[in-house]
Order: sequence, then C-alpha cells, then structure tokens
Amino acid sequence: MAMQAQLTYRLGSFGFLLGKLIRLLFFFAFIMAVFSHVSTVAGYTLVETALFFLTFNVVDMTAQIFFRGVYGARRTVTEGDFDFYLVQPCSPLFRMVCSSVDFLDIITLLPVLVMVGMVFARLPPLSWTRYAAYGLLSVNGVALVFSVHVLVAALAVRTQELENAIWIYRDVMFMGKFPVDVYARPVRWALTFGVPIAVMTTFPAKALLGVLSPAWTAYAFALTAVALALSGWFWRDSVARYTSSSS
Amino acid sequence: MKKYLVAYSIALQETLQRRSTLLMDRLGGFAIVVSLYSFWNALLGDKPSFLGYTRSEMLTYVLLINVLRSFVFTGRGWQLVGEISSGRISSYLVRPISYHGYSLALDMAQKTVHAVSAFLEVALLAWLISGGIFLPRDPATWALFAAAAVLSSLVFFFLEMLVSSLAFWTSESGGPLFCFELFLQFAAGAFFPLDVLPEGIQRLLSATPFPYMVFFPARIFLDKVPHPEALRLLAVELAWLAAVVFAALGLWRQGVQSYAAEGG
Repeated sequence: MAMQAQLTYRLGSFGFLLGKLIRLLFFFAFIMAVFSHVSTVAGYTLVETALFFLTFNVVDMTAQIFFRGVYGARRTVTEGDFDFYLVQPCSPLFRMVCSSVDFLDIITLLPVLVMVGMVFARLPPLSWTRYAAYGLLSVNGVALVFSVHVLVAALAVRTQELENAIWIYRDVMFMGKFPVDVYARPVRWALTFGVPIAVMTTFPAKALLGVLSPAWTAYAFALTAVALALSGWFWRDSVARYTSSSS
Repeated sequence: MKKYLVAYSIALQETLQRRSTLLMDRLGGFAIVVSLYSFWNALLGDKPSFLGYTRSEMLTYVLLINVLRSFVFTGRGWQLVGEISSGRISSYLVRPISYHGYSLALDMAQKTVHAVSAFLEVALLAWLISGGIFLPRDPATWALFAAAAVLSSLVFFFLEMLVSSLAFWTSESGGPLFCFELFLQFAAGAFFPLDVLPEGIQRLLSATPFPYMVFFPARIFLDKVPHPEALRLLAVELAWLAAVVFAALGLWRQGVQSYAAEGG
C-alpha cells in the first residue's frame, strides 16, 4: 500500500527522491573535492573515507526504509489510531514502526550499493572473514537503530509527546557521516557508549579495514542485544500503562 | 504595521513557551556544527591553512554556519503547504492582513529566538575551541555582514513562499519543496565553503541567488571580500530579492485566483 501511494503521488515522490539523491551526491562531491587537496583525513584515505560515508548511508537508509512509521508515532497515538492497532491481530509494535515503508529510499539505496561495490573493488584483496564481519556489523547497526526507534515509539505511547525525539536522533546521526576518529575524545566516547552512532556506522567499516579489535566487535553485538532487550521491555511496559489518549 | 508587530510578539511568546521543543531543535543543530567542526579540525591537522582559509577562519566559518542557518533557514514554506492543502488558508484570505506580512512576522519571531540561541551556542564553542575564532576588527565589516544576513533571510523567505505556492495547483508540492530546501542548503554553502567545489560548479552557482545566503555573508565576516566588492554583492543580492519578491507575489496572486478551498 505504501508503495502504491508513493507511485500515485508522482510529483511529490519525484521531488523527495531527487532531494535524497542531491544530498547524497553533494556530500560525495564534497568528499571527492576535499581529497583533491589532501591525501588523508584523520589518517584515512579517500577510499576509506568513502567507505565510512557509504556505510553510514547503507545503515541509515535501511532504517529509513523499514522504520519510517515512528516519525508519525505521536500522531498515531494522539489521534486514536493506536487504539485500533491494539485490537487488531497484528503486532502493534510492527504496525507502529514499520507501517509506512519508504520505497523511495530503496531507489536511493541502489546507487549507494553500487558505490559500495566500487569502493570494495578499490580496496586491497581482503579475506572473506573481513567482508563477513562488515556484513554482520552492518546488520547489527541496523538492529541497534531499530532499538532506538522502538524506544522513541514507546516514549510516544507513554507520554503522547516528544515528537522531536526522532529528529534529535536524525541530527545526531549526522555525526556518523564521518569516521568517529575525527572527533575529540569526549565526543568519541559519547558516540561509542552514550548514543552509539559509532557502533552503528563506523564499526562495520573499521572491521572491513581490519582496525577493529575482537573486543570492540564483541562489545558491538553485546550492546545491541542489551539495547534490543531494554527497548522491548520499555515498549511492553509503555503499552501496559497505556490508557488511550484520544477517546 | 501594528497588527504585524502584535503577531510577532505573540509568536515570540509562543516559541519561548515551547521550551523543550526549542531545546531539542537547538540540540540537533549543535550536533551538526560539532560534526562539521570536528571534520575540518581533523582535515586541517597540522596544516596552517586549507584553500586559503587559516585554521581560525575555517572554524569560524563552521560556527557562522550555525548562526546563519538559524537566522536564514527558518521559512514558513511547510506551513503554507499545509494551510493550502487543508483549506485553512481561507481564514487568512478573508482577514484584513497580507498573508506574506503575517507569515514574515511569525518567521521573524522564530528567527529572533533561534539566532539568539545560535549566538550562545557559538560563544560556548568559541570558548572551548583551542585555536580561537576570527573576529573582524572593522565595524563596517560587522555592518556589511548584518546587512547581508538580513537580505539572505528575506531572499530565503520569499523563495520558499514561491516554491510552496505550487500547493495551489497540486497537493504534491511537498516533494519539490523538500528537494529545493536540500539543494539550497548545499548550494548556499551551509555545509562547507563553496571554494572546495570545482571552479565550474562555483561559477554555475554564483549565477543563482543561493551562494548569497551563507557563503557570501560568511566571506564578508571573514574579511575575504573587500568592502567595495561587498557593497556590489549586496546590490546583486538586493536585485535577487526584488526578483524573488516579484515572482512570489505574482505566483501567489495567480494561485489565490485558482484556489478552490479544498478541504476547507
């Protein structure tokens, strides 16, 4: 249904699609332009920096494609639609988080995946375990993003407010466009342990480049497991306390 | 004029009343500035300058981005799209006010709060930055910068009104507005100085009003533009403003004529 809606509104969808592509291309042009004047930034070459940027896009866009529903979570609650979600034979969490799949991001994701392939081709030959670690940590990153979205959805159910919470996450996520090594130590610490943007976007690329230790890899998976468990518990608790806000 | 001042005053109080929303908005913007600042800091490394910008100039540019984004990019485009699509615009059309004047009053209230917040954030960052920031000594530079920022803000407001007026003819104007806003932010230099881009692209962009919104005001502040040249650029910006106002009001008049109050 979401796809049909987006195909129906052609001008609107084209505008959104073009905007997303412009954002991607401008940032890429910026990185290319910067590296025409310097050889490394924070010790990373053009190909490596492009890998960080593209990995950020893969994780972020995948989350945008599947978890877009959270952006309207507060409205869903305050307008009473959430009451219907609760009585329908479908997981209310699934309805809340994944109800509006953004197919435009699938189209935007395709050139990103092609560019990831081009970056892979420019890297020195690497063992399959590095690629496997990259893939697993990318999936782990998406799972961590999912837990953040569940937390925001639970906050909407619990407070009927905090509609800006997801936009704060979006703005902070901007920091994942660059490798976490460019930031000062306290910021790096906050991005690894506080709001773990580094685990979502930087860790997969670092694993591929062979600069992520097994301890950090284990931390990434453990953190996601804990985050999923906690956000799931918070969601269930918020739904249990929900007393309908619109009627 | 009094009614617009009242609208400004009410909007100002309303913005200040929603403190948590404001705080969250500012927090998000702050994250972007920290991110860009860190990137440039890492890029500069031990180098004394990059593309003609010294360390303090480049870092000042990033901080200026925060102030100019807050002051320039706070238009009312999405509200206009929503009001036309829902039919709520009808209630404004029958009132003895100019919709653009009223929207500008609301926009100015938002700009006031966000610009003051941005200055405080920049002051905090400037205090934390080890390399220091660049502050022009000549008061004329400050005056030219302020004039450029005010003109930029007006150009953006009317440009957004122009694009948003498409909502009179289609319910899908959100897409073009989204695309326009993203393109504008990059083309204005709101993420990085446009000197980084290849010369051909720079020449192309300089034929549009976009670089006048962030890039040129920032260069004026950094004393990269001699004052006579800055005055010439301000005159060009003024011409762009006149053209954009003319186009926005023209399209508005046509839009109102074809408006059918759907949903209202």
